[in-house]
Amino acid sequence: MADEKGKEKIRSIDNAAITLIEKAQKENVSTVFFRADELKPCPIGVEESCCKICGMGPCRLPRPKKAGEEKDRAGVCGATIETIVARNFARKIAAGTASHSDHAREVAETFLKTAQDEAQGFAIKDEVKLLEVALDYGIETEGRESREIAIDVGKKALEQFGKQDGELVYIKKAPLKRQEIWRKLGVVPRGIDREVVEMMHRTHMGVDQDYKHLMLQATRTALADGWGGSMISTDLQDIMFGTPVPILGTFNTGVFKEDQVNIVVHGHEPFLPELLVTATHDPEMKALAEKVGAKGINLTGMCCSANEVLMRHGIPCAGNFLQQELALVTGAVELMTVDVQCQMQGLQDVSECYHTKLVTTSDRAKIEGAIHIEFHPENGLDTAKKILRMAIENYPNRRHAVYIPAETQDAVVGFSHETINYLLGGLFRASYKPLNDNIINGRIRGVAGVVGCNNVRTVHDSAHIAMVKELIKNDVIVLTTGCAAMACGKAGLLTPEAARLYAGSGLAEVCEAVGIPPVLHMGACVDNSRILIAATALVKEGGLGDDISDLPAAGAAPEWMSEKALAIGQYFVASGVYTVFGTTWPTLGSEKVTKHLFEEHEELYKGMWAYEPDPIKAAGMMIAHIDKKRKALGLDKARERVLYDMAMRRALD
Amino acid sequence: MGEYVYEEKESFDGKKVKVLGPTYEEGKPDAKNDWEAKLGSPEDRLNYLKTALRYWYSKDWFGSEKRKQEA
Repeated sequence: MADEKGKEKIRSIDNAAITLIEKAQKENVSTVFFRADELKPCPIGVEESCCKICGMGPCRLPRPKKAGEEKDRAGVCGATIETIVARNFARKIAAGTASHSDHAREVAETFLKTAQDEAQGFAIKDEVKLLEVALDYGIETEGRESREIAIDVGKKALEQFGKQDGELVYIKKAPLKRQEIWRKLGVVPRGIDREVVEMMHRTHMGVDQDYKHLMLQATRTALADGWGGSMISTDLQDIMFGTPVPILGTFNTGVFKEDQVNIVVHGHEPFLPELLVTATHDPEMKALAEKVGAKGINLTGMCCSANEVLMRHGIPCAGNFLQQELALVTGAVELMTVDVQCQMQGLQDVSECYHTKLVTTSDRAKIEGAIHIEFHPENGLDTAKKILRMAIENYPNRRHAVYIPAETQDAVVGFSHETINYLLGGLFRASYKPLNDNIINGRIRGVAGVVGCNNVRTVHDSAHIAMVKELIKNDVIVLTTGCAAMACGKAGLLTPEAARLYAGSGLAEVCEAVGIPPVLHMGACVDNSRILIAATALVKEGGLGDDISDLPAAGAAPEWMSEKALAIGQYFVASGVYTVFGTTWPTLGSEKVTKHLFEEHEELYKGMWAYEPDPIKAAGMMIAHIDKKRKALGLDKARERVLYDMAMRRALD
Repeated sequence: MGEYVYEEKESFDGKKVKVLGPTYEEGKPDAKNDWEAKLGSPEDRLNYLKTALRYWYSKDWFGSEKRKQEA
């Protein structure tokens, strides 16, 4: 489609997406790409200069169009623009934290049912991780059955939501210095639900009206996500389904098979997807597929549900956030399941254009017009089989010519922090030391976390790939999750060979020696908690300072769009990480709030936000920050090696 | 894995030396690298956690956090 200047609009850097967008256009199917053309972002809302939390407004308070016309802006209640922008930002963080944490609650409840033998088809699979989490939670393990330990772990995890005082159990996993900073500022989360509720209260009309004070609670709320809900999700999912280990995966829409029953699992919770993996191996299902004329059952994933089953079972990933509707445009998808988060309501209209059945499966999320089959762990496997049967029976109903783009890309995925630790030293010398040593000797310049969503206001995947290539070219190893990870997978950056093709010589040397890609796929968006733990391990190993903020490290979400991304960003900043977001930034309505986040946060947390829509410039800012940290650690110059004799050693005391 | 491949390179003192070339296996893996399966008993698992993840689970590991001179 051409834009208003008649130029052909570039919508994606992914050929599979481009061809399916063209197909949708020819078939007059509405997708996010076309809706975005019709609907421009609200210029006042985009900078959050609008307050609509009470019935006296909404109060629209845009910035003056011309410089020099600035004046104090306030709503009818007198709330300043700082209060309004900070309240809006804080509410987004609360929503993001609530999303990850409600996911975590579902995980904890299912985990407890699994431990009590009340969940059909689930088991405690990873005994090592069970012990690890039991140690974190202070649960006695000696001489006890796994089941008993797991019940205690499940109960302790559930307690984290309703706690009213004290500290979340995972806080003590952070570097000691970081814990001190949080305690000094009074931002240690007491209980997950409490922080979200308090945030919503304090942003109600006429409560907390000091933007710096509001941001302290927003930080406490975000920490309840990163060092609370998200970490619970990651850990308990690992125990139930296995801690990810390296596995071969395949990315992009080309994973669909024309002569098979194609099913897409989309959303974030891994329960139904796990049981669909089991159900596809059922001989009865295979026979049914054969009976309807299909040559097999092809289970695939989309968004973070895809990440979950990709890194544990190698289930192919059909694409990331902006490809969810395009997957249906192939005409090859018999059924798509959706649970929670990031599933567009537009899917229903697209599914009606083809033969696809859209099935909502969570008791918390329905889509008007979609089929609702609720998933409950007590009869989970039966539900999985019911849905699978529905998909198979829908295979003969294909009514359009099927078009599946050829693009697929192999990748190695599944780098949990435990696996990275193992790969760096083996079973008997597992350690982050080789990584620290190579950062110290300069082969690896630093570490970057590139995470987050797709956003239709940025050319699909373009910012992720430009940024990641720039970082690895400059010897910065990249850890990635969520839709960013899928973009990297599709672009061939998750293979060991990518080190030779794209990385700087130092990083390539390390990757080739260890046998890892220069970009490590660490999982779904809740698994950003794995990055926090990996960063903590780097600190605790020694040689790179005493805190996450001392590490030559930075974070980014160049194509972010969801409130979850803001919660993630805030907990990374509050953990000491310089974090750059692209595409858009939601506090530009207030210079003071933006300055507080971009500059004053460094004084508070030794980490701060930045905004830069150009991914190459943003990568440059991250590298500059990494170099600043290298300099502070004294790693910016070669040092003469001094051999200490005994007298010199004694002098150290 | 087949025969080892050697490459001729120049050492630090300018002499030609033979070094072992790449030793990776060609092709794609058909199974995941399930390294945790090597830990058979509960004792093995606990010992592994106390050594490999000593940052959190070993009583005598202090890393960077208990040094006399802070970084």
